[in-house]
Amino acid sequence: MNTRKKNLGAFIFCIPGLLILAIFVYFPLIENIIYSFQGFSLSSTSKEFVGLDNYKELFSDPIIWQSIKNNVLYAVISIIFQVMFGLVIAAILEDKVFRKSERFFQTIFFIPTLLSLTVVCLLFEFIYNPQMGLLNSFFEAVGLDGLTRIWLGTRDTAMLSIIAVSQWQSFGYITMLFIVAIQKIPSDLYEAAIVDGAGKIRRFFTITCPMVKQMFFVTMVLTVSGAFTVFNEPYILTGGGPGTATMVLSLHMYQTGFVKNRMGYASAIAMLIFVITAVLSSVQFFSFGTGKEERE
Amino acid sequence: MKKLLVALMLLLVLAPIFAGGASEGPEEGQTEIFFFHRWPNDPKNSMFNELLAQYMEENPDVYISMDCILNDQYKERIRMIVPTEDVPDVFSSWSGTFAQEMVASGNVLALNDIYEADPEWSEKLAAASVAGFTFDGTIYGIPWSQDGKVFFYNKKIFNELGLEEPKTWGEFIELLDTLKANGYETPVAEGLVDQWAVLHYLGTINQRMIDEETLAKDYDAATGEFTDPGYVRALEYWQQLTTYMGEVASAIDHETARNTLFATGEAPIMYLQFAEIPQLEQVIPDDFEYGFFNFPAFEDGEGDPNALTGAPEGFMISNKAENIDACVDFLKWLVSPERGYILSTVGGDMSCVAGALDGDGVIDAQREALEMIQNASYLAAWFDNACDPSVYVVYGQGGQAIATGDATPESVMAQVRTAAASLH
Repeated sequence: MNTRKKNLGAFIFCIPGLLILAIFVYFPLIENIIYSFQGFSLSSTSKEFVGLDNYKELFSDPIIWQSIKNNVLYAVISIIFQVMFGLVIAAILEDKVFRKSERFFQTIFFIPTLLSLTVVCLLFEFIYNPQMGLLNSFFEAVGLDGLTRIWLGTRDTAMLSIIAVSQWQSFGYITMLFIVAIQKIPSDLYEAAIVDGAGKIRRFFTITCPMVKQMFFVTMVLTVSGAFTVFNEPYILTGGGPGTATMVLSLHMYQTGFVKNRMGYASAIAMLIFVITAVLSSVQFFSFGTGKEERE
Repeated sequence: MKKLLVALMLLLVLAPIFAGGASEGPEEGQTEIFFFHRWPNDPKNSMFNELLAQYMEENPDVYISMDCILNDQYKERIRMIVPTEDVPDVFSSWSGTFAQEMVASGNVLALNDIYEADPEWSEKLAAASVAGFTFDGTIYGIPWSQDGKVFFYNKKIFNELGLEEPKTWGEFIELLDTLKANGYETPVAEGLVDQWAVLHYLGTINQRMIDEETLAKDYDAATGEFTDPGYVRALEYWQQLTTYMGEVASAIDHETARNTLFATGEAPIMYLQFAEIPQLEQVIPDDFEYGFFNFPAFEDGEGDPNALTGAPEGFMISNKAENIDACVDFLKWLVSPERGYILSTVGGDMSCVAGALDGDGVIDAQREALEMIQNASYLAAWFDNACDPSVYVVYGQGGQAIATGDATPESVMAQVRTAAASLH
């Protein structure tokens, strides 16, 4: 009886949160599923049921495949650069050698995270400017004229240039998360390893990596879902161009809905993004066995 | 100390409420008009603020609340709210398909009676501009500005090289080659990051290449096919033209190209709107002289070479407005020779009210531009106002990809045909 009462009490306390989730997350999600089977524009007074037409179009739309390709590239580079490189940098900063200057480097790495993304994009627009941009000017100044490019204006470099902006901004945040995780590792583990004669690299792979597994999972989910929902950087820097070279799923969804005025098809693209991020997060969730240790 | 801090915090939080409370919002007995437009930037935003203040001073029984956001966001917002009960009483609109879309919501007031009831006022409005808001004989808008797009050129460079305004595409290409041979690496300045800038070209090229009837059929979402071989040829001309725009064109926007390439004399030619004359005047040196010529005719083109790409913009009134008479009075006051003069001299746009450009202070180039608009056989709507977004977005992306060498005219037209077919 007592347990039942306790459970009821806990449930009552959950109601406000559940209500907020239901209104602002699940209701729009269900509504979006319904919209994805309809054809309508922003100014439509009625909605037409089109069955699976919007989903069929997903498979024949060349921009969808181009966008997925770009999102995958985004995810892969983000995992390598932010998660893996971030973990390495965090481990280095937590090393005794860097302890004294740790705060300084943490601040340096974290500052870009605090800047508004719009400001960062405008800053990089200037850096990449082909006429007077910092990057080309730098290459010219050091005699590497051959490396100058029309960074945002050609298919070969535009997407990579956009991805670089995200790495620059988010790298510090992921590194900070790893620093926090590393600080939680009991120091006696390292001390025992040192006694056993383990070197720094060995200690990194046998102690640090396994002990930050949970944070690794969190950062993987953050970067992968972030890579598949990225919008601001390509929207501000290139608008998806030149052509559709820097088109990503969320930008394509936005253009389909708010520029092409096809809200039904845009809802289908939204569902595709939802399915991709949900599947990837679930795969990561199960492969990392999150929560298992705690339950055991 | 703690109390003082709390008091200070409260003051900071409440200050904006009290500061705005006294003067904002209509007073009792005042008729309120909600006015929504797309010009949040100066000088037009300040101009509207001053005009509205003047109107409310002259008409103390009317209160106009104004809101404004920039182009693309405006398009999104107005599309969302026009079909709803929250439709603004008075709002700005482009002509052509955009206006048609607004009308399709069923919430836009038909204005024929208002035009007929006051011919002294309505006859001053340029008939071609009113036509941009007329569908099946019903007038749904009051035009307020008109615009056109032509090639602006640097007179000094043209005179030095003995160049003349080209009339045909062949002459134009020859002229561009001469400029290149004389050291002008970028004969035509353009910023292709802006898809609308690409679309302005493609719209004009299509208009010059394709006969009017076929174009009208293809631009109609219900019948568009784009099977005429002239469309591929049009994109080939575009491809040819982009080779004269320099390497950086694909990475800069239109405004940057105007201010850093054309205004500095680095690029002698640029395709500009008449509405850009005031901005151009602000950045060119004192001795910079410019002229303009209409887009040259294609030797194999079937469209009217005397047409001018451009369109009027204006205002619509909601049929759900509580005070339609007040809205009409306000717009008749706004769209008048006096306010048209302010639009032209302060706002930089050319008014479509007769007599608005007669006074001093109007830039000579604006008068020449007006003459050009009046001499054009007709005003061909902007591409993004002439056809469905599903088609013009593909055209815009394709136009960019052709410029960077990532697509061919044939492949782009195949995508356009697919997009057009999906609409019917």
